[in-house]
Amino acid sequence: MIGTNRGPRYSGAGLLWRGLRKSNWPRVWRDTPLKKSYDVVVVGGGVHGLATAYYLAANHGITNVAVLDKAYLGSGGSGRNTAIVRSNYLTPEGVAFYDRSLALYKSMSADLNLNVMFSERGHLTLAHTDSAVRTMRWRAEVNKLQNIDSSVIGPDEIKKIAPSLDTSPHTRYPILAALYHPPGGTIRHDAVVWAYARAADAYGVDLHQKTEVIDIECAGGSNPDGKGEGAKVTGVKTSKGDISARVVVNCTAGWAGLIAGMAGLKLPITTHPLQAAVTEPVKVFLPTVVVSGSLHVYVSQTDRGELVFGASVDPFATYDMGGTLDFTEELAGHVLELMPAVSKMRLLRQWAGLCDITPDYSPVMGFTPVEGFFCDVGWGTYGFKAGPVSGEQMAKCVADQATPELIAPFALSRFEHGMLVGEKGAAAVGH
Amino acid sequence: MMRRLEPQSGEFIDRSQPLKFTWNSKKLVGFAGDTIVSALLANNEQIISRSMKYHRPRGVLSADYWDPNTTVQVGDEPNVRAGHRLLETGIKVSAQNVWPSLAYDIKAANRLAGRFLTAGFYYKTFMKPQRLWPLYEKVLARFAPGGVVDLNTPHGYHDKRYAHVDVVVAGAGPTGLAAAISAAQAGMSVMLVEHNHRVGGHLLWGSDQDRETAAELANLAKVAGVEILTDSTVTGRYDDNWVAIAQRNHPGVVERLIKARAKTLVVAAGLIERPYVFAGNDHVGVMLSGAARRLINNYAVRPGHKAVVLTANAQGDATVSDLERAGVEVVAVVDGRKGQTISSASGSSKQLKTVITSDGSKLEADLLVTAVGWTAPTSLLNMAGDRPSYNPTAARFFPTALPDNVLASGGIVGDGSLDELIAHGRSTGKLAAQRAAVIQHRLRTTVTRAVKPDGTEPPLPQDTRKPLVIAPHPELYRADTHGMVDYSEDVSSKDLLGAAAEGFDSVELVKRFTTATMGPSQGKLETVNTVAVLAEAKGETIEQVGTTVWRPPYAPISLGALAGRVFEPVRVSSIHEWHEANNMTPILAGQWIRPEHYGDPNAEVANVRNNVGIIDVTPLGKLDLRGSDVTKLLNLVYTNKWSKLPIGAVRYGIMCAEDGVVFDDGVTGRLSENHYLMSTTSSGAAQVWQWLEMWLQTEHPEWQVHVTPVTTGYTSINIAGPKSRELLNRLVDDVDLSSEAFPYMNVRIGTIAGVSNCIMWRIGFTGELSFEVHVPSGFGLHVWEQLLAQGADLKVHPFGLEAQRIMRLEKGHFIVGQDTDGLTKAPTTGLTPLIKLDKEDFAGKPELQWSLDAGAAGLPVLVAITPNDPSLVPDEACQILRQGTTEIVGRITSSRFSPTLQRSICLGQVASEFAAAGTELTMRLCDGSDATATVCTHHAHFDPEGVRLRG
Repeated sequence: MIGTNRGPRYSGAGLLWRGLRKSNWPRVWRDTPLKKSYDVVVVGGGVHGLATAYYLAANHGITNVAVLDKAYLGSGGSGRNTAIVRSNYLTPEGVAFYDRSLALYKSMSADLNLNVMFSERGHLTLAHTDSAVRTMRWRAEVNKLQNIDSSVIGPDEIKKIAPSLDTSPHTRYPILAALYHPPGGTIRHDAVVWAYARAADAYGVDLHQKTEVIDIECAGGSNPDGKGEGAKVTGVKTSKGDISARVVVNCTAGWAGLIAGMAGLKLPITTHPLQAAVTEPVKVFLPTVVVSGSLHVYVSQTDRGELVFGASVDPFATYDMGGTLDFTEELAGHVLELMPAVSKMRLLRQWAGLCDITPDYSPVMGFTPVEGFFCDVGWGTYGFKAGPVSGEQMAKCVADQATPELIAPFALSRFEHGMLVGEKGAAAVGH
Repeated sequence: MMRRLEPQSGEFIDRSQPLKFTWNSKKLVGFAGDTIVSALLANNEQIISRSMKYHRPRGVLSADYWDPNTTVQVGDEPNVRAGHRLLETGIKVSAQNVWPSLAYDIKAANRLAGRFLTAGFYYKTFMKPQRLWPLYEKVLARFAPGGVVDLNTPHGYHDKRYAHVDVVVAGAGPTGLAAAISAAQAGMSVMLVEHNHRVGGHLLWGSDQDRETAAELANLAKVAGVEILTDSTVTGRYDDNWVAIAQRNHPGVVERLIKARAKTLVVAAGLIERPYVFAGNDHVGVMLSGAARRLINNYAVRPGHKAVVLTANAQGDATVSDLERAGVEVVAVVDGRKGQTISSASGSSKQLKTVITSDGSKLEADLLVTAVGWTAPTSLLNMAGDRPSYNPTAARFFPTALPDNVLASGGIVGDGSLDELIAHGRSTGKLAAQRAAVIQHRLRTTVTRAVKPDGTEPPLPQDTRKPLVIAPHPELYRADTHGMVDYSEDVSSKDLLGAAAEGFDSVELVKRFTTATMGPSQGKLETVNTVAVLAEAKGETIEQVGTTVWRPPYAPISLGALAGRVFEPVRVSSIHEWHEANNMTPILAGQWIRPEHYGDPNAEVANVRNNVGIIDVTPLGKLDLRGSDVTKLLNLVYTNKWSKLPIGAVRYGIMCAEDGVVFDDGVTGRLSENHYLMSTTSSGAAQVWQWLEMWLQTEHPEWQVHVTPVTTGYTSINIAGPKSRELLNRLVDDVDLSSEAFPYMNVRIGTIAGVSNCIMWRIGFTGELSFEVHVPSGFGLHVWEQLLAQGADLKVHPFGLEAQRIMRLEKGHFIVGQDTDGLTKAPTTGLTPLIKLDKEDFAGKPELQWSLDAGAAGLPVLVAITPNDPSLVPDEACQILRQGTTEIVGRITSSRFSPTLQRSICLGQVASEFAAAGTELTMRLCDGSDATATVCTHHAHFDPEGVRLRG
């Protein structure tokens, strides 16, 4: 790791040496007191926030940075998603963006010296209807032209890739075809959080857990309290003390609206839960990621042998992460439609994460009407996939004080002009 | 060496019923009433599994459902809890996660490398060279624990049950039984759910007197009318006490899901015994006191010969006398209350031999029993929002705050004599009944549109129960040595300390980094020890460290039980059987099966163009709208205007989402002053209904509109072709079908072939003169057959979806979702005149306003396209490129060979700069070759003036 601070590199030899000497590894990141002032305060210690902090330090030399999280690092969506990555999107903007993200993920283990266990196991999106097959062909044709490896395959080939899928024509939702995307796969989501945290820390970035932002201090704004449009950020009040800072980056996903509200901004974002579940482990039998848009389900098997399931976002807005029984019932029903052989496997745990949904299912990135208050929010159900590239671009945005081209379509101001972008067509088909 | 004891007074086994089974292909015999584990132990099979990472041999730890060491494969069922599952005759039981065999496991060599394979070691290595990682990954995946899924396992048949009870009691120990009895005696319907196979809880492995008490309570419960479910677990408590119960002993299925909306839930789940952390605590022969007592008293199995007992409570003391009674020599009793503990246990891989106590005594024993305290399974309370807090006096967590409709009793909330526990249970049951009555009243008053019950809500009865005492218990978590904390994940206290030293020092981080508590028992045995070791590492108290959130389900539940039967029937119209009998080629369209054609779609097209055809269009979404505010709703959801639609008229409209994207289209007709029929696309029917209800329920609850989906209430038939009027005239007497009396885009109600109340509208997707009739479903087939019979001389012939698609493409009608997509705003479709920005408001208005203000610049345009080679039919996905580049400037959305025009025709979306008529386009075909095409002047390739349609 190319940090300035210190820290032994992780390696097999290191494991051997410490095993022999029976010594522990040093702290993965420092436990530091909150300073009175930072150049940049990143709110939210998930993949987006940590990547932003890391790239600020690594690419732009801005190291007087704090990342604040009200709980522990990766406690939000970063630790709750189903860790699927892919780049077979539909719009040129989407493809360019996610392809960069996938590239950063692919080399992350080596770049950040922590094995994030990127598993390039392929990604199958199933089509059960005539119209879904047509959409798949469309995606395949678009991807072909963008040099993304993705093609439409038939039931026989699907069966070869994933023998547990019932590809017979007599099921309730017969599998007619699939979009196969070999570069897609899964990654260990927590490891991504830790890799960025450790790498950022090595550059001197301070990571503050259990540090909740209570207020954002502004001056000169149009609201009676000096916040809102035209204001300048001056600092952050936290549960552990006050910080003065001129730049605050909001990377809080489900809580994005609340944090923006502290700066006097109202974001066009609603928060919806997205539920997921995991089974008991069994010996590995599902070698690829399987997604069915029409059945609202995606499934992959971890290296630990558990099946991890996700679904579509719940239709109601709430901050409640309790999860519902109905979700598990519908999920199980649809999974068994695809893979009847797992009927005796047992569901071990269900959970929910919060998704920050915008009207066009695209993120809000970059500047806001409050000077010094930046947003990297509105990621909805696919923030994890975009984490690395978002951090890279947000860091560039903050450092250069200019919007990088890659994220220009995602400016907050688009909602004032009706210039909505859409990966809705592609994002809606899920993971 | 048999380990079965002489008959015990509390034994569950039926010695008159021997059962044969196999264990790793070895033939063994147990008794009815045995669990798999008790039968294995009775056969002197002590090693039941190998651990996940180090493949250490593992024997019985808790001998119950949560035992992390006794998960086995039974036939095609993986991960069976052998400490809980009853023996059945003929079952094939095998060890999981062993290679090549349970006795000799090669991966046990990992133990030698254990010091290098610290928790999370895989995060620190295998990074380079990157290309080798897939190989490493395959090796790691081989260490995945668990059983094997047989890919031939059938889906199985699973039903669910909906239970409507007042009170659900989780746990049928003495307190749960007492609570159920008193709630039932207060007049409530009560469901008592017991995880184990028998009610009575810990009384069952106690004294004869205890068992008598259990039997008395069980009898009282029966008499009081309590429904008792055994071998069933309350797996989840969701919002408003939506309670999930996994019933494992329902005949004929692996599991059944019971769903109950309990007015009150009583949680009396008892306590789970906690292992002690020391070197060798996962050795075969080390077990918990509850396991030893159950094995002796309930299964007549002697757990060892020479035992050391570490006891810190009454259960440990009772174990000593149980062991002695069973003829086990107790070589030492180590009393945790006096500060004595165990340091280590060791022996061969098959047998425990030596136990070393904290004062250094070396004891020879093949059995070490520990009784060091309890974990309160607060899972269901967690799901109700409670965050338990640690009490160091009692060395366990207790609930802090529960909602009104959840009560806890028994070990979860305190200690006491049996009488005190039963008394607490009784008062809890009484309170649960009182609260259920109030909640019942509340539920009835909150139901909208119902007659409210009399009276005001009675006050919620306050909790006046005499609390149970909290008895002191020594805090015994870890000895001066390191041992297993999470058995199923092979995570030791040393791993946890190492992880904490590395900075993974909050309970959630340490869990994620080491995977402690993430295994099959989800922390039931492991969580508190994990917290305790972490507290030790951080120099904090257990309360400061806190605990993780227990998530549903409390006990794992099979996917089959959760799935149940899929209530998503395949949909067919009332004419379906006729289609099947008449050479239909079916096509799946969403949930529907429809005729794609009846042999020759091109001939079907020609027949419609020249004579008359009929098509079954029942899947077309139909919504019956009634009320004085229907026009307001129509004005809101459609982009065009509806205020002046006369009675008897039909109008076309498009619906946009709030981002201006077209999401459905269709016609709506006004049948009478306050009665309309709306049609939607076939695939959009449900979505539109939801959309209307969303506006009505959330934005305009004051509007007087009632929406009823009637898609399958009517059978819909389109009669199309130049002779359609002549045909329909033969069946209709009470409606004048002439062009003057019943012009295009009008609706009439009349009688068809004797069937009254049929709705007829004059619209057409095919471009021909056509009548779409909606016939009450019961008479759909009758009308269909009459049309065919009466029209034989007119050469009437049915046509399918394919012919309709060809004709609509000839006519240039687009299909939402095929020619449009998730990004297609209304102006793209060419229907800008239907966007009425002078309306006060409608869904998508601001977005469309912006788009149109900008002259729709940047939006693609839907155009008709003809390939320059008339015989070339491009695929409906092929992309349109800027010539000489790979820049995508559009795509073909619909493409067919037109039998009418004898050439290929298409619809496509292109960038606006390519939309002018006559523009030459470059298509990249799916095979990679390029071809040219030309943009047409009009969407319609055929009859652009609509002469035929209006005839």
